[in-house]
Amino acid sequence: MGTIDLRAAADGNLFADLSSQVHQLPCCIRFDGPSEVSHYFKPKSSEVEIDGVKTEEAHFRGRKLQGATISLPSGYSGFVLGQASDLNANGKRKASSITDENPCWEAKAKFDNLTYWNHDNLPSKDDTFVRSFHWFNIAEALHKPVKVEDLVAAVSHGGKDQL
Amino acid sequence: MGSDCLTPEWASQPCLIGIDEAGRGPVLGPMVYGCMYCPVSYQSSLASLHFADSKTLKEEKREELYENLKLDNSLGWAVDVIDPRELSAKMLAKNKTNLNEISHNSAMGLIKRVLDMGVFLTEAYLDTVGDPEKYRIKLSERFPSIKFVVSKKADSLFPIVSGASIVAKVTRDRALREWLVEETGENINRNFGSGYPGDPETKAWLVQHKHSVFGFPSLVRFSWGTCTAHLKGEVEVAWEADETEESGNGSSSKRQAKLSSFGFKTCESRSEEIESSGKGRCKFFQARKIQQLTQF
Repeated sequence: MGTIDLRAAADGNLFADLSSQVHQLPCCIRFDGPSEVSHYFKPKSSEVEIDGVKTEEAHFRGRKLQGATISLPSGYSGFVLGQASDLNANGKRKASSITDENPCWEAKAKFDNLTYWNHDNLPSKDDTFVRSFHWFNIAEALHKPVKVEDLVAAVSHGGKDQL
Repeated sequence: MGSDCLTPEWASQPCLIGIDEAGRGPVLGPMVYGCMYCPVSYQSSLASLHFADSKTLKEEKREELYENLKLDNSLGWAVDVIDPRELSAKMLAKNKTNLNEISHNSAMGLIKRVLDMGVFLTEAYLDTVGDPEKYRIKLSERFPSIKFVVSKKADSLFPIVSGASIVAKVTRDRALREWLVEETGENINRNFGSGYPGDPETKAWLVQHKHSVFGFPSLVRFSWGTCTAHLKGEVEVAWEADETEESGNGSSSKRQAKLSSFGFKTCESRSEEIESSGKGRCKFFQARKIQQLTQF
């Protein structure tokens, strides 16, 4: 099934904090690997404020991008995952093998916010990306432990109210 | 940018305006629209100011003429410097604006600016962009009180236009000389030459400054054919706007982009593909493009 190892997150020193450096672009870049992002990608804050959020402007391959920085809700963290090392702390090969059926990921960096970018359009609350965050609230409501009082209240209201 | 922001004292006399551009052809740097205006009664003096065809003048001579023009109190001038980033952005936008439209809008913007200053324009002379008659009609509809003359090579026919041409050319040359290249990085230099695609110095600069992911510094006009040709071998970047054009369905319905078109290597299994297209998922997830991922 695979594993995700987040233990390194506990040690602040080992860990890069990429808040304000994670960008979701409105295009597919068919490339994986390091690149001189900070030399070429230069977001600037624009004068426009939407729904209380300061928008930013940037250019990529000649296209104008308009974006907004969204914080992750409290209780959630963002992680950049990379392939786990094949070697353990002693430099010896780990006993458990990493295979295609058993991919092992480990956290390499974390972030508390990310910036998503639209092509040409100003960011807005109706953007798909912003709306995807609604899932956090729903998930919480769905998976929150139910208290006896809630059940009683729901039943006594004829079961029509939400749980 | 222009001559005194204060309205000239002769503004209430009937005036004529000439408009020309510089830097339309180059693959990098700004495009500049320039105008020059004066009282109609001053027109005969213009011919004696020896503008000639600005393109045949040497740079130093042009600079000299420009400085002299600025000193002449019977002449007004203004420019619109169009940033290459704006050119790229508008020509590559979801709703594209072509270069002719951008040019027309710039010229009309200059006319409006001069009118707003209180100058009583009655005649206008422009070098043509696209079909001269169509352009003339478009201008007349926008500014019914002005008589428009639109022709090819207007800068060699009408001194007021060759004056505008000098203003535009000198402004463009200076802007390019002083251009602040945003991009940092050690390998970036300013030896880009004239910016014309045929200029060997410009060609060499483009080859040297090509970047596999970012393409070029933003000084370059990404909408230019020269540019796209250079980037053919580099990292491919797919935009939603381009995809909807290619699919050519006719219908503009938003089809859900698959995860695989965003470079995610998911399992190629049939069930994963269906999952990725959003079929069968409840509307809440579909609308928010959320997919359950059990393996990656």
